[in-house]
Amino acid sequence: MSTLILRASGPMQSWAVNSRYSTRESGREPSKSGIVGLLAAALGRSREEDVTDLVALTIGTRTDQPGRLLVDYHTAKARGDKHSTLSWRHYLSDAAFSIAISGESGLIETLAEAVVAPRFPLYLGRRACPVPVDFVGGVYDENDVETVLRDFDIAPWLATEWYRKEAQKYLYLPLSRDARPGEEGEIVRDVPRSFSPSDRNYDSRKVVRCEPVRVDNPDGVEIDDPFFTLVKES
Amino acid sequence: MTTFIDFHALHTLAPSNVNRGEDGAPKTAFFGGVQRQRISSQALKAAQRKAFSQHLDDSELGVRTKRIVELVARRMAEIDPDVDSDVALEKAAQAMTKAGFKVTAPKVKKGEEPKPLTAGYLVFLGAHQVDRLAELLVHTDDVSALSKKDVQEVLDTEHAIDVSLFGRMVADDAALNVDASAQVAHALGVHAALPDFDYYTAVDDMSRADEETGAGMIGTIEMMSSTMYRYATINVDQLMTNLGSREAVVRAVQAFATTFVEALPSGKQNTFASHTLPEVVAVAVRDRRPVSYVNAFEKPVEANSDQDRRLLATRALASEANAVEDTYGLVPLHSWVAAVPSLRSEAEALGSSVSAGELIDNLRDVVEAVIPSDKVEGEE
Repeated sequence: MSTLILRASGPMQSWAVNSRYSTRESGREPSKSGIVGLLAAALGRSREEDVTDLVALTIGTRTDQPGRLLVDYHTAKARGDKHSTLSWRHYLSDAAFSIAISGESGLIETLAEAVVAPRFPLYLGRRACPVPVDFVGGVYDENDVETVLRDFDIAPWLATEWYRKEAQKYLYLPLSRDARPGEEGEIVRDVPRSFSPSDRNYDSRKVVRCEPVRVDNPDGVEIDDPFFTLVKES
Repeated sequence: MTTFIDFHALHTLAPSNVNRGEDGAPKTAFFGGVQRQRISSQALKAAQRKAFSQHLDDSELGVRTKRIVELVARRMAEIDPDVDSDVALEKAAQAMTKAGFKVTAPKVKKGEEPKPLTAGYLVFLGAHQVDRLAELLVHTDDVSALSKKDVQEVLDTEHAIDVSLFGRMVADDAALNVDASAQVAHALGVHAALPDFDYYTAVDDMSRADEETGAGMIGTIEMMSSTMYRYATINVDQLMTNLGSREAVVRAVQAFATTFVEALPSGKQNTFASHTLPEVVAVAVRDRRPVSYVNAFEKPVEANSDQDRRLLATRALASEANAVEDTYGLVPLHSWVAAVPSLRSEAEALGSSVSAGELIDNLRDVVEAVIPSDKVEGEE
């Protein structure tokens, strides 16, 4: 077993779960369907091809920089049409996530090679959001995604310079991962059964929100929390 | 191995509002912790698609319409003037139903003639596909003898160039979907910027003649001025799958390149006329993966009294291209850059210096080298 690290960062990304019709939302972290789709695209699989091997991989995500919500108002109209079709597409702007994907070593190696030289262009949830150049963080001999994401030597904190300067001296990074067998978790319906346009279907999975990871931020600012100041004084 | 052609541009816009949100303000995004101007991917693609008609023959482009039955029937009448128009409509409707489209009779007012059947949504068909289907139907007496496969074959091969680049979705039958071969990023300002308000007044000419003071109306328009970074990439192999002809791929890539350079969304341009061209256009041909240089601007560019924004942006872009090569060994197979003279020396690292025209000419050789001639089918 080994683990592949990916780095989802850049101006825009969008990870929809259960999002249909005119308001296309984004989740707060990369979805399993988004990651599986990206890996399938890297391997050059068509939408009709089977993805059960990729669905079986364990994934975990660490929110290194939460980003902000961006709502893009989108109109579409054909020549001669009276009315436009409206939609509102949500993106995360300025966000950064460390993604850990673990599975059987042979498959992880194949995926790491494919992501570096993909058959189809890769994107962060939506076609207009290309992956960054340093997308691949490497492959490590460790099978537990949580252990990997707690180790800043393996998966360094991706926050950018401006964010570090504005943030506090230490932060807690949200971390979530697929539940282990028998474990309880939040139910998320983002496991693709197939990407075939005629048979798009999703199963659910259990996601565990783990204890956040503390990261020290020497570049950050001391923030006087008025609440704690008041508590101390009284 | 897949071949990708990456397109990069730095493009400075004077105060304008080419792409606005529902509040009328120019679109923006946060990147590197600061707000910047943004032009959405879909607005850029729509502008390119609109400009295609100046560079490509209509026969190579698609028609987006609900009136697919009428479209085919008219073409049948052009091919064979003896065809009865009702027979043509009947045959076209049968063929479209066979292909998997749901066509229904549109509602008409009392006393009006019934209208030909239409699809429930816009269908993007290549003009060439319409021709081939009309040709087939003119020479087929009994349309019911055709199989679903026969009709889908016509509508799902040799796609129009715009359909092949930007893709197609068919709600009734996903088998007719086309995967886009071009990926276009939202254009993003290289520096922090906020919208500005233009307060305006309009004078009533009649009142002015009466020497009355005061305006006939007042209002505000929001506007923004930025140097934008634009990025797009074409997957040449996917484009070949969609088009099926090497010569068509050449024309598609060249039309894409030309419109990438020249076309901008037209929002509020009657008010602002910010018809500028990019100061730098760079192309990188790659065989490993597409690479965007947007992170050159994660740290926003800050102009100062000595160095202007365009120069600093070009320097940052060139240094990102170098960093990508040094850090990841991602050396493009070919790279060219067309830059205005004052930026040429800064832009050197982006590729060999050419004019925009030469850059577009060079793309022919790229496509011809990638797609072996034995793959050529249906060449005209």
